[in-house]
Amino acid sequence: MSTDLSSPRTASTKSPGKFTMSRRGLGNLILAAVLLAVPFWLPLVGGYTDLASRVLIYALAAMGLNLLLGYTGGLSFGHAAYFGLGAYGVGLMLKYETHSTLLALLAGTLLGGLAAALLGPIVVRRRGIYFSMITIAIGQMFYFIAVRWNSLTGGEDGLTGFSRQPIHLPGVTLAMGSVDFYYFVLLCFGICATLLWIILNAPLGHTFVAIRENHKRLTFLGIKTRRYIAISFAISGIVAAMAGGLDALLDNFTSPNLLNYTLSGDFLIIAVLGGMRNFYGPLVGAVVFIMMRDYVSSITDNWMSVIGLVFVVSVIFFPMGILGFFNRKSSS
Amino acid sequence: MGLVLLFNAFNGLIQGAFYALMALGLALILGLNNTINFAQGAFMALAAYFAFTIVPYVGFWGALIIAPLLAGAIGLVVEVALVRRLYSRKDPIYSLLLTFGLAFIIQDLIRTIWGAQGVPLAIPGFLDHPLSNTYFFLTGYRLFVVAVALIGTAALFAVLRFTRIGIRIRAGNSDLETISALGVNIYLLRSANFVIGIIFAGVAGILAAGQLGLNPNMGDTLIMPAFVAIVVGGVGSLVGSLLGGLIIGLASGITTAFFPAASEVVIYVIMGIMLVVRPRGLMGQEGLFE
Amino acid sequence: MSLLVLENVGRRFGALQALSGISLSVEPGELRAVIGPNGAGKTTLFNLISGFFPPTDGTIIFENKPITAVNPTALVRRGIIRTFQITEIFLALTVQENLRIAVETAMGINLRPWISAATRAAVTRRVEDLADTVRMSAKMHRIAGELAHGDQRVVEIGIVLAKSPKLLLLDEPTAGMGDEETNHMTDLIRRLNKDQGITMLFVEHDMAIVFGIADRITVLDNGRMLAEGNAAEIAGNPRVQTAYLGQAA
Repeated sequence: MSTDLSSPRTASTKSPGKFTMSRRGLGNLILAAVLLAVPFWLPLVGGYTDLASRVLIYALAAMGLNLLLGYTGGLSFGHAAYFGLGAYGVGLMLKYETHSTLLALLAGTLLGGLAAALLGPIVVRRRGIYFSMITIAIGQMFYFIAVRWNSLTGGEDGLTGFSRQPIHLPGVTLAMGSVDFYYFVLLCFGICATLLWIILNAPLGHTFVAIRENHKRLTFLGIKTRRYIAISFAISGIVAAMAGGLDALLDNFTSPNLLNYTLSGDFLIIAVLGGMRNFYGPLVGAVVFIMMRDYVSSITDNWMSVIGLVFVVSVIFFPMGILGFFNRKSSS
Repeated sequence: MGLVLLFNAFNGLIQGAFYALMALGLALILGLNNTINFAQGAFMALAAYFAFTIVPYVGFWGALIIAPLLAGAIGLVVEVALVRRLYSRKDPIYSLLLTFGLAFIIQDLIRTIWGAQGVPLAIPGFLDHPLSNTYFFLTGYRLFVVAVALIGTAALFAVLRFTRIGIRIRAGNSDLETISALGVNIYLLRSANFVIGIIFAGVAGILAAGQLGLNPNMGDTLIMPAFVAIVVGGVGSLVGSLLGGLIIGLASGITTAFFPAASEVVIYVIMGIMLVVRPRGLMGQEGLFE
Repeated sequence: MSLLVLENVGRRFGALQALSGISLSVEPGELRAVIGPNGAGKTTLFNLISGFFPPTDGTIIFENKPITAVNPTALVRRGIIRTFQITEIFLALTVQENLRIAVETAMGINLRPWISAATRAAVTRRVEDLADTVRMSAKMHRIAGELAHGDQRVVEIGIVLAKSPKLLLLDEPTAGMGDEETNHMTDLIRRLNKDQGITMLFVEHDMAIVFGIADRITVLDNGRMLAEGNAAEIAGNPRVQTAYLGQAA
């Protein structure tokens, strides 16, 4: 019960006040320092900067998803759709319309976000397990569109022929090499995480959590819960779409697999593995999951079995995720 | 044009029969085990590969019966060892992710044991010929697929209606607590139900393999339409799932005749329309059978 | 002028006539109890008034307007708020968070994705007032699910109070409580009614409680009204005695 934290706070709700505030502030500071220094220390431990960008991108997508999953209690198995739409939006913009990386990212984010905003009201017509089935199925629709609309999307082969462009700011030009791009991703991650944090600590976020905990009570306070689930769905779709756009920029390529439900499963396991009741759970999950997949696929052909085992083990033994697990350890 | 349309409609119907078989198995497991079994497609492929291996010894007919049972046995092990642990957790995410991971593992094992390349499954020669020169698409095998799907479905409904276990499964679907209080061993019941669901997938897998051949990912193309079939047909209604499967198969087939690129997308569009017009689906929430 | 009027209200479920011919009126500021043996139709009556399902006969009038076919969410906005027989609160949240979501809902600010310091302070003040009213200030930061059953019911009353109900419907407020908890609850009900003037209608099993605090009592039996009156009238009513003693013995 004590790990089933209601609010974005990772510290115990039982000891409010200045101590937790400052501890959280300190934690954020350390986290920021570690992330900012990645290009300096990661190569020393055998990593490469693009891998760190990938981790942040997946963490961002899973964090967006987790607004719906962990805080609102809506199990979407179709967030790859919005991620993928963001990616295709960015790719198509850069290929045909613009040389501005920022404009392309904005367009991709809007495309995916718009899809989520429009589909949300349909999806929320069912609850629980059927909500999940519908989100999966709607997600697959975009997958098949991407595969079949060859002339636009490149079909099964994916979309190529675009690349991220240098960003010109007053006084500086970012060449957008690996390191520049990492900081660009980090900036996007930081902005989204801050906005999500603000929402979660505002009445809107409180309402999301209340829906997760007891939608009946809320309905009998006069709240139309479906509308709020749809809003949560849209916000989380926008964040996922931005992550997808960044993913396209990272690879200078998009594949229809970015729209597939398998990727939705990856986002979910990242959130669950890290701890879906914790604000930074998805980040922890992404670090573990992406690093592990990168490593395992380099040493064995049977890496799918290993990933499958990760799913099985984390579901059976760590239902509250890594952060939830340690929280319980420390509080008991 | 008429012939082409008929050809595609018939193809769609066959496809719909596969969707329906998959959807029935999924709907069974969803109803009593409260689990979206993502591994259903992997179990289906597993049964087909079992059939591939044992056909030389027991023939096609033997394999059609034995292979789904073998897959069912594996399903039983999985249910008892893993799925069962999650029944007490309210949040459906856990069983969903568990079966999702299991699908990865099973597919990977298939790839390791039988290879990633597709292989054909031999079917009896007499089924392999067109029955008519004009209606060239009416092969014996396709009619056979329809027949097996019908018999399988009829058998399932008979079991649910007339056998003790079937009646309990239906009762458990509507009120698990009560039948548990009446002294029914719900663990046993859920295991049996899970296995029946897997056996259905297995039969579908072997039938599909006879027509399209085998490959480790063969279940992937069927599981999504099966979800759609359940949503369209109405959650909680097995008849609905059956109808849903046939309807989207047919719609997909007919679309192929006019606009092939949209043949997959059309089923999702149907689902979307259904959700807007009639959220509970064709036959949803009116109990298991009506 | 009556706040709530039921005119010849009935409800059928298929062949089962759960309620019929119920006519009653509740005055502003009144503390009304509905009692009756098991299966008398108390909960059905409650569900009709709170809009769970519409009556099959008759009309329900609230503040001079018919509310017979109005859905629960709309009724809440008109000021009819209920608690449940099984406590409905946010179990994984703290008491403070439980009250906070109720206050924010009452203020109509649920859609705000950010909150100013002034609004936050207003919310906090209101939450503290509520906690004070229901005497939960000391347990503000406890997880609601870890509280005693009686305290959880008090939290639920705190939640519905946030909405400043015109008519508060309490479904068996003391069900499953020990003596001390029951005393706290009846005290709370009486205070809310007398000090804040909240009109209340509550269903109750425990006759002693009902006679102790209710202004008027409506007795149901077998889906019909058996009697209505103040405590003394009801206690002296032979039909009530038969119905109750017949059942109790």
